[in-house]
Amino acid sequence: MIDPPVALLAELTYRCPLRCAYCSNPTDWRDYGDELDTAAWARVLREAAELGALHVHFSGGEPLLRDDLESLVRAARDAGLYTNLITSAWRVTRERLAALADAGLDHVQVSVQDSDAAHADALAGTSTHAHKLEAAREVKALGMALSVNAVLHRRNLARVGEIIALAESVGAERLELANTQWHGSALAHRDALMPDRETLARAQAVALAERARLRGTMDVIWVIPDWYEDAPRPCMDGWGRRFVTVIPTGVALPCPGAHGLPGMVFDSVRERALGDIWREGADFQRYRGTGWMSPTCAGCERRDVDFGGCRCQAFALTGDAARTDPACPKSPDHHLVRDLRRERPATAMEPEGPLYRIDIRRGPRAS
Amino acid sequence: MSDDARRPTLARRARLRWDAARAQHVVVVPEGVLALTAEGAEVAALLDGRRSVAAVIDALAEAHPEAPREVIGDDVRDFVGRLVARGYVTLEAP
Repeated sequence: MIDPPVALLAELTYRCPLRCAYCSNPTDWRDYGDELDTAAWARVLREAAELGALHVHFSGGEPLLRDDLESLVRAARDAGLYTNLITSAWRVTRERLAALADAGLDHVQVSVQDSDAAHADALAGTSTHAHKLEAAREVKALGMALSVNAVLHRRNLARVGEIIALAESVGAERLELANTQWHGSALAHRDALMPDRETLARAQAVALAERARLRGTMDVIWVIPDWYEDAPRPCMDGWGRRFVTVIPTGVALPCPGAHGLPGMVFDSVRERALGDIWREGADFQRYRGTGWMSPTCAGCERRDVDFGGCRCQAFALTGDAARTDPACPKSPDHHLVRDLRRERPATAMEPEGPLYRIDIRRGPRAS
Repeated sequence: MSDDARRPTLARRARLRWDAARAQHVVVVPEGVLALTAEGAEVAALLDGRRSVAAVIDALAEAHPEAPREVIGDDVRDFVGRLVARGYVTLEAP
């Protein structure tokens, strides 16, 4: 008996007007242009709800670039799902936010790149910061729940206190401080984005103190930087266990980063029902449970806590997706992480030059 | 003012629903789900912003004549208090 997913991550498009270097989308994101249409997404939303999902997270890319977002929110609400929009708020108008609220949008997560416009706009490669703050206040005024998301890295970690103050000033109920995860563009820019240990420790101390101060007002979530922890990140809370991702072209994945793994089958919701893929799809079965685990993981008392860590990271660093995540100190490959960590120079106050999302065109994806 | 005179309301961002796949009532919130017992679901359904805490207790006492009213009262205050602490219920002045 396979438990149903709790949430659907609906990646509506990989198109995005921002050019954040830490982007975890595939670097050949332009080749995923054959997007599911409105009717196909509406069906996927119904299938996810029937399967047992309670939340849908509309994400991307920038989901506001889909003209049919209001229809999809309405379809999700009709199916009984709790709806969340993960957005840069790029050029969103008050009228569009009102239309989304009217369609039944429950929760909006607005990304910020830094605490002030100069740094944030330089990282995003476009002038958006001031507008984001207006949009965030509008989300609150319309009665929707508001989260602020900030991805943390070498170029903004020193200002984590200011980022927290910013989220507080727009009335966010939640703030996600997510240390960069090394996929897609972020992996290619790892040297420029990975912080040194001392800067990270200072930022963590600030975040934890602020979390205590703000308890009851704003939930401050600190997503661990797994290369510096004593345990790996419990990636997706286990493969094919709680989350199902559908990417813009309709491929269903256990994790939004799984594109890059070898041997994937890439079942599409265009050809199979979501429930079938969840229960029987080869990609979902591959690393589900504990049967696939190396002896290091299979014999570990934390195998049902961190699930062997991240498959994509194991593949990126060792070439074998089934090995223990090298971020785990028990991994026979842990020296790979230790060595890269040790080489980190101290963080400069002002970084050197612009740094943007990788943009490679390989040719359209068939699926 | 007695706390029992205040009117608890489930917050807009917290939605009470039946979760058929897991056969339980839940309150769905941003990035989270609270599983409710059958008793919890019965209380949650009464947090409509019109009834005071005392009225919620009255309604439950009427529905469950076998249960001592003091026990129901303690349970309701405890349940509402926990949801208020997590921001899923707001208490409005009478």
